[in-house]
Amino acid sequence: MAVTASQPGGIADHIHPEPQGFIRKYVFSIDHKIIGIQYIVTSFVFMVLGGLLAELIRIQLMNANGGFMTPDTYNEVYTIHGSTMVWLVIVPMVTGGFGNFVFPLQIGARDVAFPWLNMVSFWMFPPAGLLLYASFLVGAPVAGWTEYPPVSLQGGPGTSMWCAAIFLVGVGTTLTGINFLVTALKMRAPGMTFTRMPLFVWAQFATAPLVMIATTALAAALAALFMERQFGVPFYDPTKGGSPLLWQHMFWFYSHPAVYIMILPVFGIISEVFPTFARKPIFGYKMIAFSSISIALLGFMVWAHHMFTSGLAPFLQLPFMIMTMVIAIPTGIKVFSWLATLWGGKIQYTTAMLFAIAFIATFTLGGISGVFLAAIPFDLWAHGTYFIVAHIHYVLVGGSLTGIFAGMFYWYPKMTGRFMNETLGRWTFWLFVIGLNGTFVPMHWLGLMGMPRRVAEYDPQFQTINRVESLFSFVMTFAILLFFINALWSIRHGKRAGHNPWHARTLEWQIPSPPPYYNFKHIPTVLANPYAFDEPVPYAGLEDELTDSPVPIPAGAH
Amino acid sequence: MEHREPAVHLGRGFWSVTFALAIVAALSIYAWVVAPIAGWLPEAANKAQQIDALFRFLAASGTALFVFVVGYLLYFAIAFRRRANDPPDALGVQIHDNNALEFWWTLIPTVFLVILVVFSIKIWAGIELGPNTGLTVEAIGHQWYFTFRYPQINGEITNAMHLPVGQPVTLRLTSADVIHSFWVPGMRMKADMVPGLINTLHFTPKRVGRYQIICAEFCGTLHGEMDKQWFVVDPPVKYAAWYDAWQKKNSTASNALPVQSNARVAFGAGDAKIGKQLFSQKCTACHALGPFSQRIVGPGLLGVLHDPAHPNLVNGDKATRENVAEILQNGYKGDMGQMPNQTANALSNTDIANLVAYLNTLK
Repeated sequence: MAVTASQPGGIADHIHPEPQGFIRKYVFSIDHKIIGIQYIVTSFVFMVLGGLLAELIRIQLMNANGGFMTPDTYNEVYTIHGSTMVWLVIVPMVTGGFGNFVFPLQIGARDVAFPWLNMVSFWMFPPAGLLLYASFLVGAPVAGWTEYPPVSLQGGPGTSMWCAAIFLVGVGTTLTGINFLVTALKMRAPGMTFTRMPLFVWAQFATAPLVMIATTALAAALAALFMERQFGVPFYDPTKGGSPLLWQHMFWFYSHPAVYIMILPVFGIISEVFPTFARKPIFGYKMIAFSSISIALLGFMVWAHHMFTSGLAPFLQLPFMIMTMVIAIPTGIKVFSWLATLWGGKIQYTTAMLFAIAFIATFTLGGISGVFLAAIPFDLWAHGTYFIVAHIHYVLVGGSLTGIFAGMFYWYPKMTGRFMNETLGRWTFWLFVIGLNGTFVPMHWLGLMGMPRRVAEYDPQFQTINRVESLFSFVMTFAILLFFINALWSIRHGKRAGHNPWHARTLEWQIPSPPPYYNFKHIPTVLANPYAFDEPVPYAGLEDELTDSPVPIPAGAH
Repeated sequence: MEHREPAVHLGRGFWSVTFALAIVAALSIYAWVVAPIAGWLPEAANKAQQIDALFRFLAASGTALFVFVVGYLLYFAIAFRRRANDPPDALGVQIHDNNALEFWWTLIPTVFLVILVVFSIKIWAGIELGPNTGLTVEAIGHQWYFTFRYPQINGEITNAMHLPVGQPVTLRLTSADVIHSFWVPGMRMKADMVPGLINTLHFTPKRVGRYQIICAEFCGTLHGEMDKQWFVVDPPVKYAAWYDAWQKKNSTASNALPVQSNARVAFGAGDAKIGKQLFSQKCTACHALGPFSQRIVGPGLLGVLHDPAHPNLVNGDKATRENVAEILQNGYKGDMGQMPNQTANALSNTDIANLVAYLNTLK
C-alpha cells in the first residue's frame, strides 16, 4: 500500500474491497473492528473462567479450615484466577478490545497502521489462554500471579507452561502497542491535531509505549524463569548463585506499569462517557490528556514500592515512595476534572453513565488505599495481606472492570447496531455495585487485623467476615451473569439504535452502526476538539457517510 | 476554536452541601483521631505506636478526601440530572476549564503529599535506620515453620520466640529454602526472609503478651499453616528463666548464635554439606558461585582457596582457611566494599567451620 502523507485525507485514503468468506471475514480478519470484537469476546470467555475460579476461592474461604479443596488445588486456583484476570481479561480487553474497535474510528482512520500485525497479535492470545488452562492437566502453577522464585522453581511442570503462556500473550500485547503508537502518530485524519484528539485516543496513545517497554521486561524475566526451570540456568536460585530479588525487580518493572496499562484506557472510556451523558464538554481537557502522559511516565519509576519488605537498601526505598505518592497528583486531577464535568450538566441516566459514576467512587477508594501503601511504614504492616487484595480489586474491579462495563453499554450500539437492554442493565449495575463493595470493603479490615493473602486456611476469628464476603461475591457474580445474558440476547433482540443514539460527538458516532468495512467513504477533516456541545459537530467531508452513495473503491484495488 | 466561557455561579445548594460534607469529613477525622486502634490490635512494640500514628493520619485524611469526592459525586449526580420537563437533548453549562480551579486542585494535593512524605520519612527513619544494639535474635524461615536462634543458646528453638519487655531488639531474618515473610501484626512490621540475604528489624517490645507470627509471603503448599507460632513478650524475670532453661537444654548442640570472638575455629569439625546450605542462606546475596571476577558485591567465591590467579584474599592475606575464617569472624572493609562480621551475619564459629569446609570443596 502506498503510504504518502500528502494524499488527500491523510495517509491510506484507499479503500480495499471487503474480503468474502467466513474465514477471512470473521476468523483471520485484518479488520480492526472485527479484531476488536474478537478480543472483547475472547476476554469475556476468559472472564467467565476466571470468575468461576474466583467463586471457587470464595467457597474455599467460607470455612476457616478450608476443606473444599486441598491447599495445592487452592493455590492453583487463585494463581490461574489472578493470571487470567490480568493477562487474559483486562489487558487484552482495554488495549486489544476497546483500543482496536474504537480508537481507529475516533481518529478517522480506515484501520490501524499494520492490519496484518494486528491479526497476528490477536491470534497469539487464544492459544496462550488455552496453554495457561492446559497447565491444570499437569499441575498448574501455585505461587500466585507474581510467581516469585525460589518457590516458583519448586512448582510443577505447569509453571513452565505459565511462563510460555504469559510470554506468548505478552508478545501479542507488545505488537499491539507498537501498532497503536504508529497508528496514533501517523494515521490521524487531517486536522486532528494533538489537542483535538478525543481523550480515549489520548489514553491509548499514552498506554501504547507503556505496553511496548514494560512487556519486554516481563518477557525477559519469563524467559529466564523458563530456562531456569527447564534447563537449570541459575538466574534466581540463591543456592546456585542466582538472585531471587532479580525476578521481583524485573516482574514489577512490568507489572506496575501494567496496572496503568489496565487503567489508563479505562480513564479514556470514562472521559468519553461523562461528557456524552452530562451533555457538557469534558472539564480540563488538556490537564486530563497531560495527566495520562505523566502517569505513563511516572509509572516506570515506582516499581520497587512492591518490594519495601524485600530487603532493598534503605535509601533506595525513599525515591520509590515519593514517586508513588507523586502519581496521586495527576490521578487526582483526573478525578476532580470528572467531578467538575458533572457539575452543571444535564445528566442522562443510561446504564453506561451509572457505571461511569460508580467508577469514580470505587476507583477513588482504590487510589486512596494506594497512597496508604506507598507510605513505607504502613506498607510494612499491610504488605502481603488481604489489605493488598482489597486494594488491587478496588483498582481492577472497581476501576477497570466497572469502566469496561460502562464502555460496553456505551459502544455496544456501535458494535452491533442495537442497544443492550437498559432495564436488565440497571439490575446489573445495582447488584454489581452492592456485590463489589460487600466483597472487597471488609478485606481491608481483615488484612490489617492479621489475615495474610494466598492462604487456603486461616485463623477462625476471621470466618464470619469471610462468609459475608463470599455471599456478596455471589451477588457480584450473578450481576456479571446478567450482563452476559444481556449482551448475548441483545445481539438479536436489542432495540435498534441508529448510528448515533447517544448524540455523541466523536467520529465513530458519525458513521453507520455497525460501521462498514472501510469505516469512512471519505476520510473526514477535523475542525475542532469534539467536546463543545453547543457547536455543530466539528467535521467536514462526512456528507456521504450515512447515504447510499457508492463506495469509492479505486479501479483495480485489491 | 475559542469558546466564550459562561459565567459560573456556585449556588446556595453547592455551599450547603460543601458545609455538610465538611462536617462529615471533620467528624470522620475526629473518629480516626480517637479510634482505639490499640484496642483492635494490641501494640506490642514501640514501632507499632509510630506506625499506628501514621495510619491514623492516612485514614483520617483519606476518609475526608473520600467523603468530599463521593459527596460531590452524589450531589452533582442528583442535582444535575436531566429533569422530566427538560427537552430530551438539553445541554449542560458549556464550560471547558477554569485555570484557577485547576491550579488549586493541583496545589492542595501536592502540599498534602509533601506533608505525608515528610511524616512518612520521619517514621521510616526510626524503623529502618535504628542502631544495631540490644539483644540480637535470628529468625529463620522454613517450609513451613520458623526457627529462632539466640546468643549463647545452642541450637535452633522451634516453638516460640521470647523477648524481654523494654529491651531493644535487633531481629535478623533469613530463610533456609524459599522466601517467607516474618510478620507480627501486633508489631505492625514485617520483613521478608530471603534465602541468601539477611534483613533486619529493630524494635523494643513494649507490652507483655503473646502475639501471632504469620508468614506473609507465599511459600508453598502449607503457607496458610505458618501462623501457629508465637512472639512472646515476657517480663524480664520470666524471660531470664525461659532463656536459662533453653541454654541448659541445648548445651550439647554447638551452633549458638555468636557474639563476635576471635576464638579459634575448629576446622576439622566442619561439614561441607551444612556449609553449602549456610552459603545459600547467608552469602549469595553478595557472592556468586563463580570465578573471582564474577562480582555481585564481593568477589565470586568459586575456588577462593584454590585459585592460582588469586593467591591472596581481598584483604591481602594469603588464601588459607584461617584467613578466610578471620574475614568471616571480623568482616571486611576495603576496596571491595563491606562485609559484616559474624555477629551481624549470625555465624557461630561452628557455622564458620562448616562454611570454610564448603568453600574448600569449591575448585
